[in-house]
Amino acid sequence: MLAADKEVQRTRAPKRKVDFRQWLDQEAPKLLILPTVLIILGLAIYPLLLSAYLALSRFKLVRGGFELKYVGFRNFEKLISGSQQYHFVGTLGEILLWEWAIISVVISGFGYWLWRYFSGASKKKVTIIGSIGRLITVAVFSVLTILAFTVLNDTGRPGSLMVTLFYVFAGVSIQFAIALGLALLCAQNIRGKNFFRMAFFIPIMVTPVGIAYAFRMMMDMSQGPFSPVWHLLGLGDFAWAGDAWLARWVVLIGDSWQWIPFLFMVLLAAIENQPKEQIEAAQLDGASSWRVFKDITFPAIAPVAATAVLIRLIEAFKIIDLPNILTNGGPGIATESMTLHSFIAWRTQDLGGSAAVGYSLLFIAVVVCVSFFNFIGQRTAAKGA
Amino acid sequence: MQRSKQQPKSLWQRMWEPKDVQSIAPAKKVLTYIVLIAWTFVVLFPLYWLFITSFKLPIHVSDGPFYIPFIDFQPSLHAWEYIFVDLGSDTLRPYMNSVIIAFISTALAVFIGSMSAYALTRIEYKPKVGSIMGFIAILGLVVYLTVSIKMAWQLSLSIGGALFLMFIFAFNKHFKRSLNNNDILFWIISQRIMPPVVSVLPIYIMFQQSGLLDTHFALIVTYMAVNLPIAVWLMRDFFARIPVDLEESAMLDGASRMRVFLTIFMPLAKPGLAATTMLILILSWNEYLLALFLSTADAQTMPLMVAAQNATRGPQWWYMSVLIVVMIIPVLIAAAFMGRLISKGQLGGAVKG
Amino acid sequence: MKLAKMMKPGTLKKLSVALATTTALGVCATQAAAKQYDGVTVNVMTFTGPQIAEPLQRHAPKFQEMTGAKVNIITVPFSDLYTKLLTDFVTNTNSVDAAVFAPQWMVDYADPGYLENLSSRIAKDSALEADDISGFFRSFSTQYQGQPYMITLDGDFHMVYYRSDVLKAAGLEPPKTWDEYLAVAKAVNGQDMNGDGKADYGSCISKKRNAQAYWSIMSIAGGYLQGKGTSQGAFFDTKDMKPLVNNEAFAAALNIYKDTSKYAPADEINLDVGDTRSLFISGRCALTLDWGDIGTLAIDPKSSKVIDKVGAIALPGSKSVLNRETGKLEACTATSCPHAVGGVNRAPYAAFGGWSGGINASGDVKVKNAAYDFFSYVSQPAQSNADVTKGITGFNPYRKSQFNSIDNWVKAGMSEEAAKNYLGAIKDSLNSPNMMLDLRIPKNQNYQQVVLDTAIARFLAGEIDVNQTMQSIEEGWNELNEDLGKDDQLKLYKATLGQK
Repeated sequence: MLAADKEVQRTRAPKRKVDFRQWLDQEAPKLLILPTVLIILGLAIYPLLLSAYLALSRFKLVRGGFELKYVGFRNFEKLISGSQQYHFVGTLGEILLWEWAIISVVISGFGYWLWRYFSGASKKKVTIIGSIGRLITVAVFSVLTILAFTVLNDTGRPGSLMVTLFYVFAGVSIQFAIALGLALLCAQNIRGKNFFRMAFFIPIMVTPVGIAYAFRMMMDMSQGPFSPVWHLLGLGDFAWAGDAWLARWVVLIGDSWQWIPFLFMVLLAAIENQPKEQIEAAQLDGASSWRVFKDITFPAIAPVAATAVLIRLIEAFKIIDLPNILTNGGPGIATESMTLHSFIAWRTQDLGGSAAVGYSLLFIAVVVCVSFFNFIGQRTAAKGA
Repeated sequence: MQRSKQQPKSLWQRMWEPKDVQSIAPAKKVLTYIVLIAWTFVVLFPLYWLFITSFKLPIHVSDGPFYIPFIDFQPSLHAWEYIFVDLGSDTLRPYMNSVIIAFISTALAVFIGSMSAYALTRIEYKPKVGSIMGFIAILGLVVYLTVSIKMAWQLSLSIGGALFLMFIFAFNKHFKRSLNNNDILFWIISQRIMPPVVSVLPIYIMFQQSGLLDTHFALIVTYMAVNLPIAVWLMRDFFARIPVDLEESAMLDGASRMRVFLTIFMPLAKPGLAATTMLILILSWNEYLLALFLSTADAQTMPLMVAAQNATRGPQWWYMSVLIVVMIIPVLIAAAFMGRLISKGQLGGAVKG
Repeated sequence: MKLAKMMKPGTLKKLSVALATTTALGVCATQAAAKQYDGVTVNVMTFTGPQIAEPLQRHAPKFQEMTGAKVNIITVPFSDLYTKLLTDFVTNTNSVDAAVFAPQWMVDYADPGYLENLSSRIAKDSALEADDISGFFRSFSTQYQGQPYMITLDGDFHMVYYRSDVLKAAGLEPPKTWDEYLAVAKAVNGQDMNGDGKADYGSCISKKRNAQAYWSIMSIAGGYLQGKGTSQGAFFDTKDMKPLVNNEAFAAALNIYKDTSKYAPADEINLDVGDTRSLFISGRCALTLDWGDIGTLAIDPKSSKVIDKVGAIALPGSKSVLNRETGKLEACTATSCPHAVGGVNRAPYAAFGGWSGGINASGDVKVKNAAYDFFSYVSQPAQSNADVTKGITGFNPYRKSQFNSIDNWVKAGMSEEAAKNYLGAIKDSLNSPNMMLDLRIPKNQNYQQVVLDTAIARFLAGEIDVNQTMQSIEEGWNELNEDLGKDDQLKLYKATLGQK
């Protein structure tokens, strides 16, 4: 309703009796977007505000109902520096000297990028929103970099925050790489293309709960289908579930199995839609396949790829079914993602804590996705156009 | 290329060079097939395993692994019997629920999403920042009134609505700064970032207050809402590729915007529609977390039933496998149908942008 | 049809004969007025079975035939049951008319008044034969502040099961202390116990996080923590609500718990109770720690490879016990462990308390009556005495008549010796003056399923050591005590122990 009010193409109707059809036509710009706006306001914004309130309060059962007590940022404090710090942020370790060196290089990289923007070297207009956005991005990414070094060394232990980021970044990059490779192979002029295309798409149709169970069977070292292989390798009595990193990788493998098809389909469609003439011309000129890919194919598919990756990023932040069913978040808290963390808190009536985790997730996901959208997505879009 | 024409090619060279531009070098072709077939194995083996597990007796699973029915174990229909005969209506009910909820919510999300996506590609909106700020403030007030002062939500909502209308009429003209379509689009997609755990309790309370908990309606509306952003986002990409002149000529002929949208845009974007429908159908068909909260008995969906097979006696792999296998079928049929639409559209060429 | 399919023809015949007789005698109260609940529907929620849900689903059609009330069994995963019920009650949704759940959670439901007080109904119900129900379940487990809110459908005790054939072959006695448990596990670990040529394990205990593993650590710790009888309690000091988790006794239990993993499957840390049960009955483990279910699962010819090779024993104990003043572990004396036998102090753990049925107080009277009659029907000896002998029901014995009639068990496929051994272990636990009670103060879920379970999971994964584990449990419990009001919690804790 907001948006439609300001529709610029709208022409003021002359004051005369209008029949329904004309009215419909005239108000079309509003009517087209109104349902979406209303639905999102009702089922996304309203719950968002309500749970913002939950995140700042403590839920308590009392006789005949419940009571919400406002506690300010207590729930967040608990996660970041209080009794749940190990769970959310992780156990902090000592940062070594060489690690400090890497951190400072990374952060100076961010600093340089900021400097280019503010000094006008990047030839972009400096705006207030642009500046704030970049400052937030740099701050969040710097903190996350330091945190990564703090919790991912021998003395520290990652909490659900860093585990989620691992799933998101490692997962999405691996999935993108494999999907792109498969899509390039499938886009070639080969027989059986349609079979591969259909077969590769199937995993995404399986319900995630089902995938999690299927992978529990697959990864069973003693009774699973691959157990003879493990026995041959002398690993028959070896348990991935007992090792934090192996367990995380198993979760990641299941997640990749499920989501590669999505990226594959989108990328394949994009590759097949690219102009053929250009490629043929380049091939006649003797350009190597790598050059063709780098100079023609990739720029052509970049905008679609960026959209697909963004959607994938968004979904990746919400990973829950796989760790929940494969390991219940164990060993210890090693495979617990933020959504699972929030869900576990929810299950034990810690609604405030649950909402606080959810909000932290929302904040980080928004920063990462907005940064991706603005600084990578738009650049590729500009290139591809 | 030049050099190879003058000298006789070694076998090695011939293997790596295509005969002509259209075809692929033999060695490359072999490698391609090896990779593709390997990946087919990766993709299909877990499904094969699920399929044969559905015919196994518990003893076959615990003594395993057994790979090929009739050869290393005698398949049994006990799990299928249990799910479809013994449980009978208890299986059919969630199944029908899933079908109804997933298909209706998908259709609605795609249709409503397409409308907005069309609008966002063809019409320029300029919502003013000030009005939005005002709106958010009023919404915050409504939440505060409802939660803190325990005012009835109907009342607080109408107060909020009235305040907002007054606010718009009074101040709208004075705001200068405005947003554009990209901002709206991003606002819409950002709703998808929201983890469902955060929004599920308010939604639960909302449906509980209106007595709609555990109904198809509640799940349809919720799924539609959570998938709407994806529909808008994907459809906008497809619409943006449709040339403007098509609709301009139609508009000049006096066709209304709605008509242009329904008769020109929707048919042209068929492949896009099919792809979007497919993705959203899959997402709502497989959704677990929201269904867990919003349904109790009548509206229970299939993913809940699959999860339910993990019991104190250990996961009932055989029952679970039956359910997972039968759950894939409708989506597979839909995918085959949509897949035809997708490739047809691409061949059609009208949409090439 | 469904009924007939699930049971052997003989059982069905016997059941219907039994039913016919009871009906004829007019013992069955619900039978008196024919179809008194026509048109009434009762939604009963429990966790997804087949256990617990199976017998309810099986009895529902019969019950409808008798009374006209339609009973829908709604199932949700175990880990969601507590919240799902609570949300339903708190938000006044009332889509659930009755539920079968852990009596441990009752305090969170009964205190705000969501559960129906059943005392008058039980008093009038002669068919239930309430006196036949073992005292612990009748007058402790299902009661809150002296009033009954639930009907027992299942008896639950943690016990240790052993492979009698394996131990005999190795010349070993069933373990009486946890040190002996480790010794037995060590001695037989690596033997082939089911004849498949593969090495099997000394001990299998479910240690999966967010499952039902947090009861195991308390089962081990019990003998070290509680020596002076049931009313002493094992979770907190009844003087000042100080958690009893940061001392030598708890450290000893933690070490034992971790040491059992040495003789266990490598992925034990990811095994749920269901997984360890199927390992045990497929003959892959010599020892396990579990509820009564193993006894009946082990005689199921369809899945068990250890028929008549299983022995049960009340939880092992310790020769030394905690001195609560000093936090030190001290050798048992006549004053510190008055109930010790042969110098070993045992504290059988009434973990969970047995699945029981409770009724939503805000329902229609007719629905509430129908729900009550349904639970009563399922619990009546005619039904339950057969149910408890079947593994699939998940129901374990809780009635005196079930402990005393060996015949019933022999009919179900146990040898007389095995039946005596199994029932003896349960009776030993039940009659022990030093039985350890489960935590039943408000929010006990948070104390156990969140704080305790997470700390133990991290300990087993090697993330934290013994001291850090004990500290983190103590901090977590103290935090909860402060949040919920230490004095209130202490009062309620003492009340559950029967202390004034």
